[in-house]
Amino acid sequence: MDSKLFFPIMLLGLILLFDSALVPGFFSIQTRDGNLYGSLIDIFRNASTIMLLSIGMTLVIATGGVDLSVGAVMAISASVAALMMNPYVLAKELPPHLLRLINDPNFTFQPLWVVILVTLLVATVCGLWNGMLVAYVRIQPMVATLILMIAGRGIAQLITNGVRIQIFYEPYAYIGQGWAILPFSLYLVAIVYAITWVSTRRTAIGMFIESVGINARASFFSGINERRIKLLAYAICGLCAGLAGLVASANIKTSDANNIGLTYELDAILAVVIGGTVLGAGGRFSLLASLIGAVVMQAVTTSMYALGVPAFALQAIKGLVVILVILLYSDQARSLLRRLGTRQEAAP
Amino acid sequence: MSERAASLIARNQRFIPLLATAGLAVAAYLFGAFLYPGMRDPQVFFNILSNNSYLLISAVGMTLVILSGGIDLSVSGVVALTTVASAAMLRDGWNGGLVVLFMLLMGMALGATMGGFIAYLKVQPFIATLAGMWFARGMCFFISDDAIAIHHPLMRILSQTRILIPGLSDPTTQRGDFITIMTVLSFLVLFVAALAAQFTRYGRSLYAIGGDEQSARLMGLPVPTAKVLVYTINGFCSALAGIVLAAFVASGHGLYASGFELRAIAAVVMGGTSLAGGSGYVIGTLFGVLILGITQTLIQFNGSLSSWWTNIVIGLLTFVFIAVQSVLASRKGRRRGQAAGSAGQRASRKRARLWTVAALGVIGVAAMGLWLARSPSAGGGPSATAETGDCDLQPFRQDLAESLVQSGALIAYERNGGPRCIDEVYAIFPDGRIVGDNGADTVELQVGQESIETLLAGIREFGWFTDEMYSTWHTPCGQCYGHYLTVVDGGLEKTVKGVDGGTDAPADFWQVISLVKGIVPDFD
Repeated sequence: MDSKLFFPIMLLGLILLFDSALVPGFFSIQTRDGNLYGSLIDIFRNASTIMLLSIGMTLVIATGGVDLSVGAVMAISASVAALMMNPYVLAKELPPHLLRLINDPNFTFQPLWVVILVTLLVATVCGLWNGMLVAYVRIQPMVATLILMIAGRGIAQLITNGVRIQIFYEPYAYIGQGWAILPFSLYLVAIVYAITWVSTRRTAIGMFIESVGINARASFFSGINERRIKLLAYAICGLCAGLAGLVASANIKTSDANNIGLTYELDAILAVVIGGTVLGAGGRFSLLASLIGAVVMQAVTTSMYALGVPAFALQAIKGLVVILVILLYSDQARSLLRRLGTRQEAAP
Repeated sequence: MSERAASLIARNQRFIPLLATAGLAVAAYLFGAFLYPGMRDPQVFFNILSNNSYLLISAVGMTLVILSGGIDLSVSGVVALTTVASAAMLRDGWNGGLVVLFMLLMGMALGATMGGFIAYLKVQPFIATLAGMWFARGMCFFISDDAIAIHHPLMRILSQTRILIPGLSDPTTQRGDFITIMTVLSFLVLFVAALAAQFTRYGRSLYAIGGDEQSARLMGLPVPTAKVLVYTINGFCSALAGIVLAAFVASGHGLYASGFELRAIAAVVMGGTSLAGGSGYVIGTLFGVLILGITQTLIQFNGSLSSWWTNIVIGLLTFVFIAVQSVLASRKGRRRGQAAGSAGQRASRKRARLWTVAALGVIGVAAMGLWLARSPSAGGGPSATAETGDCDLQPFRQDLAESLVQSGALIAYERNGGPRCIDEVYAIFPDGRIVGDNGADTVELQVGQESIETLLAGIREFGWFTDEMYSTWHTPCGQCYGHYLTVVDGGLEKTVKGVDGGTDAPADFWQVISLVKGIVPDFD
């Protein structure tokens, strides 16, 4: 097995152990109508959006970049999807026969596959925009994606005219709330993971991404189209964010430009960092480790909620975790620790 | 002739971004003054300075950081933390001067810590400061979940003392155009930083480090110390900006200043400072801030545009300026490496790129202007002192709801907040009478008794009296509403509250709210 998996799995084990002590019956799983329910399943289900984000984010971070805009892209895609299913919500006055359609669970303006396709397309375009700024205009990834992070929520508001659109269409809600033995969103994660894994690890793309992250210039001179690789990574990240936006909005049955995906970029980045991909330097990555990192993040969030820590205050703890994990991986800190250790040994 | 112009441009290329920004600021102001007569009032201009004084203070600190080749994303977090912490301390009866001192020290300590990580542990600036932002913002909510009001004389002096402008005001009546202490403070910071950057040894070492850190180290400059110091200075600026913001809005809250870091960075970039570090002028940041302020004012004067347009426009402007900058930088790189060959083709491609970006920028700005000019202005525009629409939620008036229920209402529904800071209370009576009160107006509507029954049945159906329906509360955004719904049905009474945009509230709560909203009348 990949040694990168060791640290995240250990972390996950620790947190689950902590949770099982905190929540009675934590590991118990019930079956209802042949479907599985339980706290553990809930953690995985709630982690599915972060898992989706972390897959795209892993590729971006592996190229030496970062994408801060994923949360905003989630909001944009949720707005697009909600509007396409029910544009009548925004109308000022409606004739009664249309008014009835607004909360009809069987009504959708566009067929579901069109909704999903267009939404994912829009999200991919957002990713391409980021990629273009990073790869071709040569803006630092952090600043380039910060632009969309800030403007993105404005755009999402603009799409829905500032209205929080409720989604009544039942088949759409299935994306986030559906259950087929396991939560449906987990199958989505599995599919995206499988496709990404095959296309990066069974082709040379994965190696190209790692090589661009380790040294973009050297990759360029060895014939890798470094810009196109970066563009691809950001586009995939946008696509994943769009999918995460669909899941999140289907889960709460609303498009909420202000709050969907708020601070999710933090969780996604953290998941990838826990998974051992080096933030800011790029290079080797492990998709599976990032997925486990995402579950770790969700488990942390769940247990913090169980302890009564307010949602926004979690940020502080996560911020500290980022620094800690980065320091754990950094050479400077390791050599500092080593020096401290030798000094202490020398002292007595 | 064109050759001479070209050489003139080439020699003064470092001033081009600065001049472009100053020109754009003046043009935007003139455009606004032409379009909206209200903007011709000089007080509007002074208000722009006053309303953006905290942005200017923070952007000046950011300029120094970016000049040194770094970046600081933590400013918004530190600003928010300062507002909350100072509000909480003032509420607990601390001495005002002590609070200010403590806040400044806190900002410097946070900055120094991040600087230490960056300089000594070689963590990348954006990671260290991003973590710093998350940390600071999270800490806000450990202090308080809700906004804390500030009623301290010191803060009032800071935000409300008027310094009259000679020539535009009448000293005997104390009327006329004025600036505030905040404006003076921000300009003080600006000038001290501008002078320090140009004329002190430390300022020059910042430029050197930003230009090429390796060379700076080889020259014997104390690179790590200088870096820690620059983040400390920025921490100081952020804390000062936080105090000014707290005084300006007379409250503290953890969600204040969200997206503020981009505005500060945007102001710096528009001011002609290169994000790569090592080139730019502190004074340019003033023009960057002015452009942002004027843009916001234009959107407010237009009146029909929502406040979220501000963020979109800021994003767009930042993009245009950074893009132009990066193209200019690559031109410079080309000149340096001209001997490297294949220059002709690349040069023409780069020139084509420059023109594309410039043309895109001009088209973008022109389209925005045209569209601003064409979109109808709502009701003569807001007053000269219009501010952004964020407001604090009012507490739930439980006693009012209780008294309504006592007087026979089946449903008491209150919602407050939102972009227009409303506070509406509705009572629905069994006979189909619906009464609404928003503090200023009342509204009454008579509906059929059967629709009340359907409503109650609907509410029951969504499981109102089950455990699946529970109150949730999180800090609302500026545009969100807080909802409180009390329902009396079949001898049971239950109140559930929630905030818009809550991903935590039970989905059926929103179904119930939409049912109730569907039946109550509108004000206006």
